[in-house]
Amino acid sequence: MSWGADTIRALGRRVISGIGRLGHAVLFLVRLMPGLGVALARGRLIIQQLYMTGVLTLVIVLVSGAFVGMILALQGYNTLVRYDAQSSLGLLVALSLVRELGPVLTALLFAGRAGSALTAEIGLMKATEQLDGMEMMAVDPLPRVVAPRFWAGWIAVPLLAMIFSAVGIIGAYIVAVGDLGLDGGVFWSQMQSGVSISNDIMGGLIKSVVFGFVVSWIAVFEGYDAKPTSEGVSRATTRTVVSSSLAILGLDFIMTAFMLRGL
Amino acid sequence: MDRRNSTEPLVTVRDLAFYRDERPIFQDLNLTVAKGSVTAIMGGSGSGKTTLLSLIGGRLVPARGAVTVAGEVVASLPRKLLFALRRRMGMLFQSSALLTDLDVYENVAFPMREHTRLPEALIHDLVLMKLEMVGLRGARGLFPAELSGGMLRRVALARAIALDPMMVMYDEPFTGLDPISMGVIVKLIRELNDALGMTSIVVTHDVDEACTIADYIYLIGEGRVIAEGTPADMKKTDAPEVRQFMGGLPDGPVAFHYPAPRYFDDLLRADRP
Repeated sequence: MSWGADTIRALGRRVISGIGRLGHAVLFLVRLMPGLGVALARGRLIIQQLYMTGVLTLVIVLVSGAFVGMILALQGYNTLVRYDAQSSLGLLVALSLVRELGPVLTALLFAGRAGSALTAEIGLMKATEQLDGMEMMAVDPLPRVVAPRFWAGWIAVPLLAMIFSAVGIIGAYIVAVGDLGLDGGVFWSQMQSGVSISNDIMGGLIKSVVFGFVVSWIAVFEGYDAKPTSEGVSRATTRTVVSSSLAILGLDFIMTAFMLRGL
Repeated sequence: MDRRNSTEPLVTVRDLAFYRDERPIFQDLNLTVAKGSVTAIMGGSGSGKTTLLSLIGGRLVPARGAVTVAGEVVASLPRKLLFALRRRMGMLFQSSALLTDLDVYENVAFPMREHTRLPEALIHDLVLMKLEMVGLRGARGLFPAELSGGMLRRVALARAIALDPMMVMYDEPFTGLDPISMGVIVKLIRELNDALGMTSIVVTHDVDEACTIADYIYLIGEGRVIAEGTPADMKKTDAPEVRQFMGGLPDGPVAFHYPAPRYFDDLLRADRP
């Protein structure tokens, strides 16, 4: 009896604390809003952070994109060839990458590579009194430290997702034409006629813009909200990766449902 | 008139009360920092010295009473005016709080770049002047991770005086330094205070150093001022709390033991494992 009550109580406490945390995150975003405008006027800071988050994530995105494209080509060919439809391989690969895998995998990689780094950096700045020091120098850390990182993450994810898809398609082409003996012209022409810019490419772009926003938001919030101890920063870093991954997949499901079935 | 004997107050703390999670840190704290002086605030660990600096800097808001800096009640200032006031205050954190992604030069230039539109050539000269004052002009290309504890604090000091503040607050500036670095910091605090016409508040528990540089000392404990006076007064006094602190005696009015049940009872507790 008491075990059941305890379980329900613990469950309730977790739900309440989860919702409370979401509220904190929203309030943080509202407080960050004016800073976002201020940071835009100082583009140099954003470009610096774009290098730190975007360019340094490029390698992992390029390598993963190429492998995912090659795997898609092998698996897709294996299935399509049974129905003698291997000429559609280019279309299959392009649609999978542009609509789904590009935005989702890029956002997941970004959360692991750059999101965690953002959280750890901001958390450590807090733990070593760097943010307090700025406050005492009359410099507000939200526009100076947090906003440029948020912008950079938000801008970087869609760009990286496009690069991921492009590299993936090239990887698939190499496998399909070089190894499986498909005709290169068919590969490209099927893709050209079957992929719609307004539906497929824009849909993928919208997804990656949303993912970029959410991952950057979670990363800077967790960092800013971290307990200023080594344990606090390590927990915050973990939370960034876990929450971002769940948020990406959950939002992807919702957006896909809307995009495929219409509003 | 000697500036050190000026009685015009720059900072006044009146009937200050502050609580942290219901636990009283200060109750009816009163003190005054005279303009141009070096004032030491001393007290044991956990007596709220650092909290007091946060209250003066407006990072915390008192539950009762008021902190006045340069005629302004800090807690009642809107954020914009508070930031304007903070530009005239420097603060040296115990951890130095330097930005680890910037080198020494950029760290000292940071407040100038954030708050002024000075041309690059002028910033260059100002940064070198500040670094020369703390003797680290040659270290301008190094990053904080490459500096020793004493050097970090000197860079932080150069940064704190970057905008020529009216006042600098030092949070435990002597902690964790070797004797030579300590001597350098002691000398710098006094010299910068007098040369730049600043006011300094030094929070510390190092008795000898405080007596060397301070014009006036406040000893705080149990949320209030226990004793105050010039270093000479403090050394002469008979008050047991002051003698315990100044003499570094392990037991006295401030007990060595954290409050606990009777030792004998505790050892014979029925519920021990």
